[in-house]
Amino acid sequence: MSSTSAHFATSRRMAVYQPNHQISMWGNSFKADISQNTGASTIVEADTKLDNRLEDIPRESLGPSKRYDQEANKPADKVVRRLAQNREAARKSRLRKKAYVQQLESSRIKLAQLEQELERARQQGVYIGGHLGDATLGLPGTVNSGVAAFEMEYGHWVEEQNRQTRELRAALQAHVSDIELHMLVESGMSHYDDLFRIKAIAAKSDVFYLMSGMWKTAVERFFLWIGGFRPSELLKVLTSQLDPLTEQQLVAVHNLQLSSQQAEYALSQGMDRLQQTIVETLASDLLGASGAANCMGQMANAMGELEALVSFVNQADHLRQQALQQMYKILTTRQAARALLALGDYFQRLRALSSLWAARPREPA
Amino acid sequence: MQQAIPCNSGRTWFAPTAASNGVVHVTVKDRPSVDGPSTSSSSSDGGGGGGGGGGMRRLVAENPVLVVGRRGCCMCHVVKRLLLGLGVNPAVFEVAEDAEAALVDELAEIAGGSGVRQQVLFPAVFIGGRLVGGIDRLMAVHISGDLVPILKEAGALWL
Repeated sequence: MSSTSAHFATSRRMAVYQPNHQISMWGNSFKADISQNTGASTIVEADTKLDNRLEDIPRESLGPSKRYDQEANKPADKVVRRLAQNREAARKSRLRKKAYVQQLESSRIKLAQLEQELERARQQGVYIGGHLGDATLGLPGTVNSGVAAFEMEYGHWVEEQNRQTRELRAALQAHVSDIELHMLVESGMSHYDDLFRIKAIAAKSDVFYLMSGMWKTAVERFFLWIGGFRPSELLKVLTSQLDPLTEQQLVAVHNLQLSSQQAEYALSQGMDRLQQTIVETLASDLLGASGAANCMGQMANAMGELEALVSFVNQADHLRQQALQQMYKILTTRQAARALLALGDYFQRLRALSSLWAARPREPA
Repeated sequence: MQQAIPCNSGRTWFAPTAASNGVVHVTVKDRPSVDGPSTSSSSSDGGGGGGGGGGMRRLVAENPVLVVGRRGCCMCHVVKRLLLGLGVNPAVFEVAEDAEAALVDELAEIAGGSGVRQQVLFPAVFIGGRLVGGIDRLMAVHISGDLVPILKEAGALWL
């Protein structure tokens, strides 16, 4: 049955090539010396080698013969065997891929640390123009292991937030009791507290990193205000989703939004003043009449002034926390649950938008 | 408009134009739309106490709103801006680094008198003679909606 064996030959080739391809991609454990020649005998040889390596494929039922082109009279067996081999190969491939990705992740962190050490060694006034991509790897400056730790913790935080958001949605749709909702709301609130806590630690480690928003997605960064979200904006998002509110609640929410705006304005003004201060410090005596000692003094002053940034980020986060907690006080349990759901959803959409934007088709250069 | 001059000692008294060492000025930030006379602590307000304690105590007692901060501190600026934004004309006392420690003690003493022992952090805000706290506390009080009532009670605001 020449046509049948030809058919088998083709699909056999395919079956062989895919595992080969995957092996050479993921595995160091396999010696990828299987040639890609198209001669049938070579393929069969390759098959044999492959069979020897794929130890856990059950072959007892298929008999000892490894020469495919002699078994054209048992097509069903061959198909079954090939499918099994494929499944197995695919499974192994997935496992290898997972291991590889994990390896990549830890290498990435190591690489970031190495870059930072390198950067510190080369710093001394030389500007290193790193690429500010979405990865932290390209960031110049005083990034350190605190940043790597924060990135990891923040990643977990986001995952947990997504999980909580799903849970809230399910709970609200299932009309669970207020008591259960209350528990969910409490965990939601304390989850935000966690965020501010890890941010505070990161601020001590590298405040500029936090201010840059590089730990957030691109669209979130567009809305960045002193290292995070702007509370009054968030409140606007929430109130539009929370009808019906009582008259009293409406007034309270309106006042909260106003207070938040006032506080934000004051902080922004403070930031402007800080910028101004640093400019004045650095710009004094630019033509260098007073000598190196003065310059050092200037730098020392500027360093002291920069420290204030940590306070600003802390105050901004404190404001965010206060705004959320005040909102929690104003709302009923059910409303608070819906508010947290709305918030979670909103942030998810911002992140999704960032991904879409990054992946959008662009015109060929 | 008087300039704030860093104080080298704890002594306080009011001399509108004198700029000698050791003299402290309390500045008044102008806010054009507000003109309640007793909200602005003008330096003509009177005599000096002899000791620092007396002067500081006087400042706290006589001003509906007093902000005590480090010279050039941007958080102090934030506090000022917030209060100004609410329509308040705060009195501002700016302290130099070397006088800070002594002032902290003094302020803690003054604040402790009202029964609540608080740690004094700069910038420190006094309203109606009582220590409200640092910027953390001020923000919290503001967000919870309690700041404006306190200010009104202290006579710093009218509506």
